[in-house]
Parts: sequence; C-alpha cells; structure tokens
Amino acid sequence: MNDCLNAEMRDRLPDLLHERLEASARAAVMAHVDGCADCRDELELLRVARGTLIKATPRVDLNFIVEALPKAPSRARALSVPRRRVWTDWRVAAAAVLLIAGGSSYSLLGRHGGVVVRDTLVAQVSPPVTESATPEVQQAESARTAEAPTPRPEVVAEGPSEVSETSGLGTSRLGDLNEKQLKALLTEIDQLSPSPITEPDPVTLRVDTKGTTSPEGL
Amino acid sequence: MTDAPQGSGPGGGGGRGGDDQRDLELIAQWKAGDQRAASALVERHAAALARFAVASGERNEVDELVQDTFVRAFNSLDGFRGDSSFRTWLFTIERRLLLDRRRADKRRRDRLEIQEDDAATEYDALDSVVADETERRMRDAVTRLSPTQREVFTLRVGEGLSYKEIADAVGTTEGAARVHYHNAMRAVKEFLDE
Repeated sequence: MNDCLNAEMRDRLPDLLHERLEASARAAVMAHVDGCADCRDELELLRVARGTLIKATPRVDLNFIVEALPKAPSRARALSVPRRRVWTDWRVAAAAVLLIAGGSSYSLLGRHGGVVVRDTLVAQVSPPVTESATPEVQQAESARTAEAPTPRPEVVAEGPSEVSETSGLGTSRLGDLNEKQLKALLTEIDQLSPSPITEPDPVTLRVDTKGTTSPEGL
Repeated sequence: MTDAPQGSGPGGGGGRGGDDQRDLELIAQWKAGDQRAASALVERHAAALARFAVASGERNEVDELVQDTFVRAFNSLDGFRGDSSFRTWLFTIERRLLLDRRRADKRRRDRLEIQEDDAATEYDALDSVVADETERRMRDAVTRLSPTQREVFTLRVGEGLSYKEIADAVGTTEGAARVHYHNAMRAVKEFLDE
C-alpha cells in the first residue's frame, strides 16, 4: 500500500471519514479521492480501522454512569433555599426576642423610675422642685409622672445646675408654660454650652432607699 | 509530510462545531438544574471514551473508568472554559485517570513481582468479538503501535479529532500529534502488507 504524494489531501482523509470538512473542502478531497487509488485504499483502511475500534469496545452501561453523576448545581441550590429561609427566620426571631427583652428591661426600669447608682442603689431622681412651684403644680406633676409610661429620669443636683431656676420652670412641662415662660426657657437654652456634656457635673445625690417615686421624697 | 494542513485548519473541523455548541447548551442546561442534560452528555460521549479506554489498553474496568471520567468532569465543570471541545476535555480527564491507574497497577505488580511475560496482551479478551480476518489484522496492527501512537491514531481515526484537539487531549503539540499519526499510519500499513 503506497502513500499518496499529496500530503494535504491524505491528511484530510480522517476528516472526510468523520464528515468534519466544510462543503468546499469536502468537494475538493472527494474529487482527489476519485482520481487517486492510494487515497481510496487509505480511506478504506481508515474505515476498517474505525470499525475495528468500535467493535473492540464493549458496550457501556449508561445508567451505571449517570447514577454516579453529581446533582445539577441549581437543583442542589434550590434544595438549600428552605434551609436558608429557616436561617433567616431564626435570625428574625432572635432579633425579635432581643427587642422584646430590651424593651421589657427598659420598661421595667422605667416603671421603677430609677437608675442604678453606686452600690446598686436605685434612686428616684427628679427635677428640682423649685420654691416657686405651687402645690397644685407639684400635685399635677406627681400625677403625670405616675401616668407616664416612660418617665424621663433626670439627675437633680443640689449644687449649681445648668438650668437656672430663675425662670421657675424646673418642674413645668412645655405644654403648661405660657409665652413668657417659654421665651425665658429659650433664652436659657441659648445660653447653654454648645458642646454636649458627657460627664455630669459633680453632684450629690439624695438617695431614697425606700424607693418612693414621689419627688417629695427628696 | 509535516507541512500538511491540520485537521483543525481551513476546511477541517467543520462538522464538529454543531456538536460542540450542543455540548455547551447541555452544560448550561445542567447548570440550570436540568439533570437530563447530564444524561444526554453521557449518551453523546460515553462510547467514544470507552473506545479510547480500550485502545489505550484498559480492558477490565471500562465502565468504571468512563464513569470516573464523567464524575470528575461534572465535579469540575465550573473549570471548563470551553477553550477546547467538551469531548477533548473528557479525553484529557480520562487519559489522566488512565495514567493514574497504570501507575497504581505498576506499583501493585511490582509488589507481587509478577513477570511481564505472564501478563496477557491487551486485546486478548476481545478475541471473540472481532471475527473478521481484516479486522483481526487491523487490531493486531494497532496493538503493535507505541502507546502514544495508539492514542493519537485512535483519536484521529476512531474519533475524528483534529491535531489540535489531539494535542490538547494527549498533552503534546499539534506538530508532534501529526508526526505520531503518520508514523502510526505507516506502521499499520507495513504490518498489513507483510
């Protein structure tokens, strides 16, 4: 069996066998093969070789192979989605529990109306009771304090205070103030230091160990 | 001879583009969750992998080898960038697995101190399958090729891969693949002419 001298055409014979040639190339190779006995012989040899390789191969069990394949990634991802939801729900539940616990603690503290001071004493601190406050005002203030869901504890100092008592506003609510008092309050606010005070001025607290909530306890 | 155009050159490889595109579509479908696409890919390439395994000397555990090849391929499908065809990539994986098995077999034989003469020839188990005299002689001719020549000859003649694809699968250059093919073809012709 001789080799064709046209190496280009001979090199394309396997491509012709497997129909991997484009139409124009296929036509050229076919035309060459028609007139070349060596290439016809080699093409026949290639057919026999291909048939032999196919026959020599045992049949493969496709199911055996497919069963071992990993699952499609998106399907696996889809299976994990409910678990992610559980994780999200768990986090939401945890956040809700924290919020409830925090709110309850805050509410509890507010109900007792005190802050923890040194030596774990719970003190009820209230705004200073000015001399100008009338008993009616004090009584109304007491009632409001008892009704208020989240009272705002204020540290009361015997010493100098940021808010002077010249305006007589120590125990008044904004809603109870007349126009003159409001202006006085605004003036005092304008005179306050612009920088926030993080540390309170040294004060002496009156601690009511009985835990009464009345400002009169001071 | 080495100046001959490659199979993947002009006019070559024209019939594989549609197959490659179909493979990419099936891969995308599998990634999207369609498990049937995996079955389709197995159906398209399992036989070729089995032929390559047999031609490379694997006789007893062809199914396992092909299965391992697909499992490894699907597990690392994210690393398949489509630089070569999916089938070429599968051949590359299978060839690595074959080499690993041969090394393991060699270590086992060395431990058992089995003489080389005691080993059966690679195609003995297939004697009953190939009855035709011409095919029997062809089988013998292929058996006499060197391992590399046999791999290249099988991929070129049996699967129709281009020299570029063969080079990718076997881990060599296109030029070397072409030389191996023509040397193999000459050896086969000489054997058949004896």
